[in-house]
Amino acid sequence: MRTVLLITRREFLARVRGRAFVVSTAVILLILVGYSLFVSSIDPGGDSGTSTIAVAPETEAITPSLRLAADDQGRIVRVLPVADAAAGRALVATGDADAALSGPPTRPRVDVDRSLGSGTGSVVTVATTLLAQQQLLPDPAAGDAAVAAAEPVVVAARPDDPAQGLRIGLGAFGAFLLFFSIQTYGAMVAQGVVEEKASRVVELVLATVRPWQLLLGKVLGLGAVGLLQLVVLTGAGLAVAGTAGLLVAGAGITGTLVSVLVWYLLGFTLYATVYAALGSLVSRQEDTQSVLTPVSIVVLIGFIAGFNLVLSAPTSTALTVLSLIPPWTPLVMPARIALGGVPVWQVALAFVLTAAFTALVLWLGGRIYARSVLRTGARVSWREALTGR
Amino acid sequence: MLEIDGVSKRYGAVRALHDMTFSVQPGELFGFVGANGAGKTTTMRIVLGVLAADAGEVRLDGRPIDAARRRRIGYMPEERGLYPKMAVGEQLRYLAELHGLGAADAKASAQRWTERLGIADRAGEEVQKLSLGNQQRVQLAAALVHEPDVLVLDEPFSGLDPVAVDVMSAVLRERCDAGAPVVFSSHQLDLVERLCDRVGIVRDGTLVARGRVDELRAGDASGASTVVVHAPDAVAGWADAVPGVTASRVEHGRTVVTLDAGADDQALLRAALATGPVHEFTHRRPSLTELFREAVGERAAA
Repeated sequence: MRTVLLITRREFLARVRGRAFVVSTAVILLILVGYSLFVSSIDPGGDSGTSTIAVAPETEAITPSLRLAADDQGRIVRVLPVADAAAGRALVATGDADAALSGPPTRPRVDVDRSLGSGTGSVVTVATTLLAQQQLLPDPAAGDAAVAAAEPVVVAARPDDPAQGLRIGLGAFGAFLLFFSIQTYGAMVAQGVVEEKASRVVELVLATVRPWQLLLGKVLGLGAVGLLQLVVLTGAGLAVAGTAGLLVAGAGITGTLVSVLVWYLLGFTLYATVYAALGSLVSRQEDTQSVLTPVSIVVLIGFIAGFNLVLSAPTSTALTVLSLIPPWTPLVMPARIALGGVPVWQVALAFVLTAAFTALVLWLGGRIYARSVLRTGARVSWREALTGR
Repeated sequence: MLEIDGVSKRYGAVRALHDMTFSVQPGELFGFVGANGAGKTTTMRIVLGVLAADAGEVRLDGRPIDAARRRRIGYMPEERGLYPKMAVGEQLRYLAELHGLGAADAKASAQRWTERLGIADRAGEEVQKLSLGNQQRVQLAAALVHEPDVLVLDEPFSGLDPVAVDVMSAVLRERCDAGAPVVFSSHQLDLVERLCDRVGIVRDGTLVARGRVDELRAGDASGASTVVVHAPDAVAGWADAVPGVTASRVEHGRTVVTLDAGADDQALLRAALATGPVHEFTHRRPSLTELFREAVGERAAA
């Protein structure tokens, strides 16, 4: 164990002292801050200018006013007549309608999924007022009262969580950091392996330590560097969010941090082992990229798909499936956990699957590494790496 | 004592080592010579556990060698290698600690060896910034920094300047005198001849000759010896009648006589003097180079 720790310490110090570590931390921090500013400058509502409104039969009288209000505001409103209020709510639940109107036309009940978007909201509000005015009540006072009372009553099926934005932010932030750390430090493990092979120092080292010790020390050392960077970036990110007043209690920040940490450790072990085994197949730094590319693409696909789904469809089946496939779990699951609402069995299943997959990778990767790391010259073929002695 | 006993190794269809057997006593300097690809490096790698043998055993002090005992070996691989971006002193301390030294001992030892090898003023520099010669000195320090009980050095003299060769020779002798078994391979046979107590000549993965250098030079197992006589007035075939002479031939005006084991060379001298003046009368002892050629040359005949 002392041997492994010595190797870990060397790898850690060699990287942390390097300028690359400081520079990459600063650069990534800039990117993150820039990205958050960019995202926050966009209206999160994603108002497209088109609203689809389901209207129940008893509320049907509002339809002409809706069209009038929409024309007035330059919005496009599609009115879907539905059989009853329940049918309207069903359309809202499936996302086929932005709002469902039911009840008295001047004081309709407005069913929405999370919240009434500002565009749709103002169309509905104006429409109820118009309708009240058109009722031509004989008594002006009664007319005024009717206009004053004309107001939509908004009922959200799933009321907006005030911390929702922060949760999505944390999820996306976590996914990005994990992706970045795994790609960067995983690739550094491969580079380190190739550097030892290229400089031939590996023979000197392996004359006194076992290959698994060297591999483990390397993975731990670089994993610790990645972790340090993760801590620095997360701390900085939270500090920025805190001063900007974005932190809301109850968003599960602590839980998110713990889950990012756990998934980082698991994900890094998984990918670092794969990268180390791949690195051991080649003897020259120039060849490293070609063996790493296929795996980098797998990581990239998981990250891009996961990141976009987290932002656009956080409750989709696609994201759930993606988060349960082991090579992608560490990239996607922490973001889902940050979003909240992940069933415990899914987290447990994802953890077990990933842990089992990582164990398999460790076994196979250790085998490939031990067999290939002393072979210099041409790239070691898969067959040789797996079956040679 | 380091014993290599019946070690065999194959790489696919290629037989790299076959029944390689020799031992090195404490305080003995053993030279390991052979053509390229004969199996020297493979043998050393197996001793260090960098490669696994297919058959046979390596023993240290009578017990099979294991990871803990291998840490007591100082090793210089044929393929030189150090961490290029690590400072000299730090690198030596790291390697010493990997071999089991405590931090303080490692530091003291790294200091001592860098001073001894004349690279103390470079201790803070990255290895890649050093000249090749100085890198070699660091490599030697790396083999010695954990104060090993056994030395296994693959081509330690290659690439060294004459001063470094002297330092290296002195260090090897010193470790040897301190009681360590020392094995090294080299193509510089004159050095091997001068330094080593015993040599082993390896061909095609097997040791074909081993023994003290003077024993090997004294002639083949039959005990026959070769005498060169320069007697300008002698007629051809003058020596053939001398008892014990099995063959004679003329080379560059000198007669080269092969004498049986136990034959009296004084009888040959008297016969030579009988022909006239004798300017030269020497036992020709083959140099290690010649022994080596002879041993390795059998490959062509085989």
